[in-house]
Amino acid sequence: MASVRKSRGENLFIRYLILGAWALFCLMPVLWFLTIGLRPRVEIITPQPVYFPTFSLEAWRMIWEDWPMAKYLLNSVAAIFGSVVIDLVLAIPAAYSLARYKYRGRDDIGFYILSTRMMAPAIVAIPIFFLFRNMGLLDSVWALMLVYAAINLSIVTWIIRSYMLDIPKELEDAARTDGASDMRILWEIITPAILPGIITAAVIAMIFAINEFLFTLLIASTPNAYTMSVALANFTGGSDGVIYNAIALVSFLAFVPVFLVVLLIQKHLSRGLTMGAVKG
Amino acid sequence: MANIQLTGIQKKWGAVWGVKDVNIDIADEELLVLLGPSGCGKTTTMRMIAGLEMPSEGDILMDGELMNEIDARDRDVAMVFQGYALYPNMTIYDNIRFPLRMRGVPKSEQDMLVRRAADMVEMGDYLDRKPSALSGGQRQRAALARAVVRQPQVFLMDEPLSNLDAKLRQAMRIQIKHLQRQLKITTVYVTHDQIEAMTLADRIVIMDSGSIQQIGTPDDIYSDPANTFVASFIGSPPMNIVSGKISNGTFASEGISVPGLSLDFNGPAKLGIRPEDCRVPNSKEETTHLKGSVYGVEPTGDMTYLSIKVGRDMFEVKAARDYRSDLGIDQEIVFDTDRLYFFDDKTGQRIR
Repeated sequence: MASVRKSRGENLFIRYLILGAWALFCLMPVLWFLTIGLRPRVEIITPQPVYFPTFSLEAWRMIWEDWPMAKYLLNSVAAIFGSVVIDLVLAIPAAYSLARYKYRGRDDIGFYILSTRMMAPAIVAIPIFFLFRNMGLLDSVWALMLVYAAINLSIVTWIIRSYMLDIPKELEDAARTDGASDMRILWEIITPAILPGIITAAVIAMIFAINEFLFTLLIASTPNAYTMSVALANFTGGSDGVIYNAIALVSFLAFVPVFLVVLLIQKHLSRGLTMGAVKG
Repeated sequence: MANIQLTGIQKKWGAVWGVKDVNIDIADEELLVLLGPSGCGKTTTMRMIAGLEMPSEGDILMDGELMNEIDARDRDVAMVFQGYALYPNMTIYDNIRFPLRMRGVPKSEQDMLVRRAADMVEMGDYLDRKPSALSGGQRQRAALARAVVRQPQVFLMDEPLSNLDAKLRQAMRIQIKHLQRQLKITTVYVTHDQIEAMTLADRIVIMDSGSIQQIGTPDDIYSDPANTFVASFIGSPPMNIVSGKISNGTFASEGISVPGLSLDFNGPAKLGIRPEDCRVPNSKEETTHLKGSVYGVEPTGDMTYLSIKVGRDMFEVKAARDYRSDLGIDQEIVFDTDRLYFFDDKTGQRIR
């Protein structure tokens, strides 16, 4: 018995060693970004390797003091948060309709909604630019909110729909005979029952929105509506040359909140991303 | 507290028949059981009474009032489901209170009604729990409380005991019947379990492939079946049914001969007899009706199930508890000739 236990312990040790090495490998770029971000600019661009890096808040000061990073961050947060709220308000009833009601063209409508996701964004970029210009919405966080909401609405709808399909119909029949209207069934019975799915959909939409670049660049023509993703691109131009340590630090700052949220809900997230695999 | 009339009810989905021409009059305070194999249309019939399905043809009346166009939530009907259908995000208290809330019962009365309904099914101690923290039997009792809490006109129960184990099922059966008698609420109960149907029902409606086969009291259904479907569906083990021929008052088939029948029928027919109406002869001199060989002997304690092979048919006999026999030996059987049933060979309808 003792030898079995020992070999099991060793097994476990080796397993952790391999997994630890793999985790380190995956996290390396992130750590690398952090070390670049926290070193002086001169040290980063020397061709010789530096074994004992100097700690510096040069980049940190730069992004907050020389650049209106706080504003970009606020723009990002407002646009993303607003778009997710719009998505949920629209997607929950839409998903319920697609999951439960029978009407002509239902599956076509469902497919149409999803197909907006299959299109290359560049195709609609110019029309969307003109659309927002004509509405006088260029260079505004509100416009970004609408664009992000539009981009993510299809995937949010489909994820929520897949969760709704898993709810036993009996539950709704029970609520109906208990005297509940369709709206009350949706908000009091269905929505609480699929809360994990709704959170998953919201996080996925959030991730897509944080990473959105093309439409943001088009619509946010001045720093007034820049988000983190577009601001990042601005460190690479101008007379100062490429400011690597600031880029690295902003990238790291943009990465951390998403990483933490994903860590918290990863169990549900994988379910959300494989939706359609079991029930489509 | 309401009578229900179903007249000429049909339900079709495209070319698929759910229910064909169902006519039932359900009396006030009656407990009516819809019994049949799965897919026979019993649940569809119930869902139409609930308003969860609309009939393709025919009328549904409650207390003489036409219900066809009335939505489920506006019919005064409460339903109990096989899967309990408790709202998972709510406590038992909130589950039971839900129908009161939906129907605008004053807040001041809600608490009292919830507690009374919970006490009726002995769930008063579990009001703070979520459904996931309860056993199957407790969940079904909570679902019952949710149904009784607003004293509806009609109870509908869709196989409420099918997910429970045998012992619990019996206890719950008694509780349901007791509640129904106490509250005097017209109840329609769907099941595929004949024991549940026999023990609960005032009247049973037997359905098969969308049509009603027979409506009657449990006694009627058991002792006066209308056709071979009803005869073989009710009873455990089921009625023995063999094909043969009637000529000049004698039924004959391979190994079986029953003379002296007062039937005005000649031609191919089926004979039916229940296992408990057959017995092993008391003496060698007794006239017997069947001759076959012993195929199986299964003592259960209070009796012995005896299987006899006659030609290609198997015959079940409930024999005395001390009956024992080796397999393969010849055995004669006596029928209780007062309890024989004959059916038309083609239609399966009873020949009287």
